[in-house]
Amino acid sequence: MSAAAPTAPASRVVRPRKPRPSRLLIGGLVVAAAFTWWAGHSLGFSLRPLIENWSNGWVVIEQFLHPQWSFVWRVREAWVETIAIAIVASGVGVILGLVFAFMASRVTDRSTGLFRATRWFLSVLRSLPDIAYVLIFVALVGIGSLAGILALILFNIGIAAKLTSETIDAVDSGPLEAADASGAGTWARARWAVMPQITPNYLSYCLYIFELNIRSSVVIGIAGGGGIGQVINVQFSRFEYENVAAITVALFVVVLLIDQLSQYLRRRFV
Amino acid sequence: MSAPPVTASSTRTARPAEPSKAKATLVWIALLVIFGGAAFLSNARWSQITGVFTDGWRYLELMLEGLVQNPFAEPWSGYWTLAIEKMLESVYMAWVGTLIGALISIPFGFLAARNVAGPVTVQLTRAVLNLIRAVPELVFAIIIMLPIFGFGPVAGTVALGVGAVGTLGKLTAEALEGIDPGPVEAARASGARRLSVLRWAYWSQVLPEVVAFWLYRFEINIRASAVLGIIGAGGVGQLLGQLFGQREWEQIGITLAVIIAVTLMVDAISGGIRHRIIAGSGSGAKATEEETASL
Repeated sequence: MSAAAPTAPASRVVRPRKPRPSRLLIGGLVVAAAFTWWAGHSLGFSLRPLIENWSNGWVVIEQFLHPQWSFVWRVREAWVETIAIAIVASGVGVILGLVFAFMASRVTDRSTGLFRATRWFLSVLRSLPDIAYVLIFVALVGIGSLAGILALILFNIGIAAKLTSETIDAVDSGPLEAADASGAGTWARARWAVMPQITPNYLSYCLYIFELNIRSSVVIGIAGGGGIGQVINVQFSRFEYENVAAITVALFVVVLLIDQLSQYLRRRFV
Repeated sequence: MSAPPVTASSTRTARPAEPSKAKATLVWIALLVIFGGAAFLSNARWSQITGVFTDGWRYLELMLEGLVQNPFAEPWSGYWTLAIEKMLESVYMAWVGTLIGALISIPFGFLAARNVAGPVTVQLTRAVLNLIRAVPELVFAIIIMLPIFGFGPVAGTVALGVGAVGTLGKLTAEALEGIDPGPVEAARASGARRLSVLRWAYWSQVLPEVVAFWLYRFEINIRASAVLGIIGAGGVGQLLGQLFGQREWEQIGITLAVIIAVTLMVDAISGGIRHRIIAGSGSGAKATEEETASL
């Protein structure tokens, strides 16, 4: 086609050649497709049960459509526990996370060894799922909300440190230079040159982490970490789906309310 | 030194009064009260925290002991194989689940974008997406997937897929709302049909960003798939639950090491691809230029 173009009359616009698809992209897509097939194959993946066993599921869903609302109030202590766990865990987690964030940013941490070690420690900390921490602490301190709190603290440190250290990396260097010029030490530099710049973002991360902790209360409880999740687990194993449904809807409402509250607070701070 | 004259002159200039700290103090007191109240109301048996320091070291030692054994000798080779097998199952669950979520989220993303759909459709779709986002995957798995698919990884995979629709749909909609309107106008002006406009003007612009979201969600889903194992929906979580029940600390150590290693590896690969997609969305030469500039 490109050979014929020059011979064509000048009035015809020469169409630019269509770029050839990159070999990297094709290779990547082939690998992705092969991996998908292999993954589906080894999982025994099939959507057929969705049609065949729909009636099985429908029995459960039908029970879910008739939630027993009175149950929500009957387990009010578990609700208080869930919120208390989230408050304590996010309080401790964000404070420790802030310390780690300062150690994990080049801006505030001028020791290469400590910086590398903190980065490494944090990525290992983040790579374990929250459920693993709950299981570990249940083994150490027994079933109950203490295990949930300790697990969430570790989980929160990972998130808070990552988000905050990225914010620290991006601070304006003016105040840093001013602090350096006036002979500020590492601590004074962090407190007076960096901290005021990151405070609005940091506070909004704190709220975000608190929300996350409320959301993960189901997971925490199912593994034995106390709160509303534990109630869900017990009701689920007794096949009391009406109660589970009521709690799920109530949890949804609680999450929405806390979302609204934290959005309001965020507007006030930021 | 020249210090004395400086201080002499500076005493003369009136220093501005320090702003009152009363409000900050009150906020701190309120926070402390809330924290203390929560620590009390959480019903945590704080005295048991000593267990972390006494048992913690013992268990950690046992876990490390499991790690330093010859991984090719029985029974350790079996532990490593089982852990890797189950972790791969989690990775597969996360991959297929994310793919399902990604496919379903595309139409939702278009319907939730203000510059594509009408205001009523947008509000309705956003409500559905928010609802999905608020319900944890675990609840999807318990309510719908386990009764239909039975215990096993398929239930977990579908639950991960449905759970991913909420975030992916929202992010896709936000990406669509941020596109450059120029290509859309150009396509309309050349008489393109509605579907062609959506495909070539909207979708082409957001594709790199959206694929990056998918990969990011895949990284998140690897962690989430571990959670689903606890209720019997397959993957490495199921193995962890069993092992913790039996207090097999050496095997737990091996399994945790496998989880950490595989997660870090997948994060590194997926993160690399994400950066490549975002940075290299233009022509090849430009991409390498940008990459070297950012290094």
